[in-house]
Amino acid sequence: MRTLRLLSALFKLNLQLALAYRADIITDILLNLMWLGWELLGINIIFSNTTSLGGWKVGELIALLGVFRLVNTFMAALIWPNTAKFNASVRDGSLNYTLLQPVDSMFLVTFSRMVIWRAWDLVLATVLIVVGIRMTGSGVTAPNLVGFLFLSVSGTVILYSLWIVLIALTFWFVKFDNNVTILQALLDTGRYPSTVYPTWLRLIVTFLVPIAVATTVPLQALRGDLTGWQVLLFLGVGAASFLVASRVWKAGVRKYSGASA
Amino acid sequence: MLQIYKRFWQVNWAEHWQYRANLMMYVLYGLVSPVVYLAVWITIANSQGSVNGLTANDFVTYYLTMLVIDQIIADISQYYLADKIQDGTLSSDLLRPIHPVLTQTLIATTAQKALSFVALAPVWMILVLLFRPDFGAVTLASFLLTLPAVLLGAAIAFLLGVSVTCLAFWTTRVNAIIDLYDALIVLFSGQFVPLQLMPPAIQVVARYLPFQLFRYAPIETLLNHLSPADLARNYVLSAVWLALALFIFTRIWRAGVRRFSAVGA
Repeated sequence: MRTLRLLSALFKLNLQLALAYRADIITDILLNLMWLGWELLGINIIFSNTTSLGGWKVGELIALLGVFRLVNTFMAALIWPNTAKFNASVRDGSLNYTLLQPVDSMFLVTFSRMVIWRAWDLVLATVLIVVGIRMTGSGVTAPNLVGFLFLSVSGTVILYSLWIVLIALTFWFVKFDNNVTILQALLDTGRYPSTVYPTWLRLIVTFLVPIAVATTVPLQALRGDLTGWQVLLFLGVGAASFLVASRVWKAGVRKYSGASA
Repeated sequence: MLQIYKRFWQVNWAEHWQYRANLMMYVLYGLVSPVVYLAVWITIANSQGSVNGLTANDFVTYYLTMLVIDQIIADISQYYLADKIQDGTLSSDLLRPIHPVLTQTLIATTAQKALSFVALAPVWMILVLLFRPDFGAVTLASFLLTLPAVLLGAAIAFLLGVSVTCLAFWTTRVNAIIDLYDALIVLFSGQFVPLQLMPPAIQVVARYLPFQLFRYAPIETLLNHLSPADLARNYVLSAVWLALALFIFTRIWRAGVRRFSAVGA
């Protein structure tokens, strides 16, 4: 309850911040639509030259684009702006005030900034996923759909956990402003199924910076490529990574000595 | 004059060297998207032999060449100029007896590109080892023909890029305009896919726009895929667009600076 009240307070605050620049919101949404057009054109070009991309059909690729955009929205609406705020607050010492609040610091660091107009992107992404699944047709079963939904969430949790660990490293290595660049750079690999990538790249985006776990893997569940055990394994990894991340965060906060104090 | 350029170069080089880790990240960042598209097209080409006449090796050589060409030609002046116009620090540059854009911005971007090149070279070697391209089609003649094409492309990209950035004199939302301009480049330059795979309507438009001179034309010149007629056509197009870009830039710059001083920033 308290968490929800806090979330809605933070939401209102960020909404007020955003409403000061209403024209920007319109421009951002228009540009966003334009890039979506480009992405669909990309898929169109691919499928005007072939019928399947490494065994994936056009509907599955559109659904994958939807999932990718969900992950991307999560990053752009919460993770990147909060990273910028966090890095600045470590540098100038204002993180002390965040830590002094009687609320879980990991929660505050995650949700204090929200890019409101990105909510629009959630709608677009959902439409893409639904349309994509529709185009795929009869092959989708109810258990596969459930597996897809659960794995999308747990994949995002895994990426989130990686982010927590990366920014927590700042507590040990103070000069670490590049903490999320690797995540940002590799995010684009989520647009296409990782199964078409060369082995070295697939290993990187599966184990090192697990973008594929949040994008390709849920779609594989939807296609029925994964066994029940594999689905459970990925869900377990999601839960475990969250536990590890919150441990690392707590240890980091204990280690932190403040920049100005 | 040369002395001025030399001094600016030394200062800029030293400044960029300070942030070499960031530069390395920036270079790696630029690699991801081409490598993803390369992987996609190799998969398709391998599964059906070729795509529209393009083999897997054609895609490998195309995208690997693009990584280098892109590094030389892509305009990055917005990162140097847009803020200066918006926060008014351009004022002090305007007081100097040299052109702020044609010296400072030009040298700053060139220095960044040169240093990025140092970062790109080893990574590019690794990609060559991983993808094993066959650059057998490249000849000394095609290489020599590519040099002027790259220089012309870089000049046009720079002049048009700073012209777009100069719209910051009139609007505070110049970043949205630059985003739009970049989207046009992605669509019409052949950065996405080799232009011959684009829908026919886009190909027709692209033939007259300057953007293909930024990627497709120099890449295909180097890889020896163009007929003498096409080569000649590209050079003529480059000359026309260079003149146009120079004209556009001088007009926008003059009008902008006049407006800038009128505001009194």
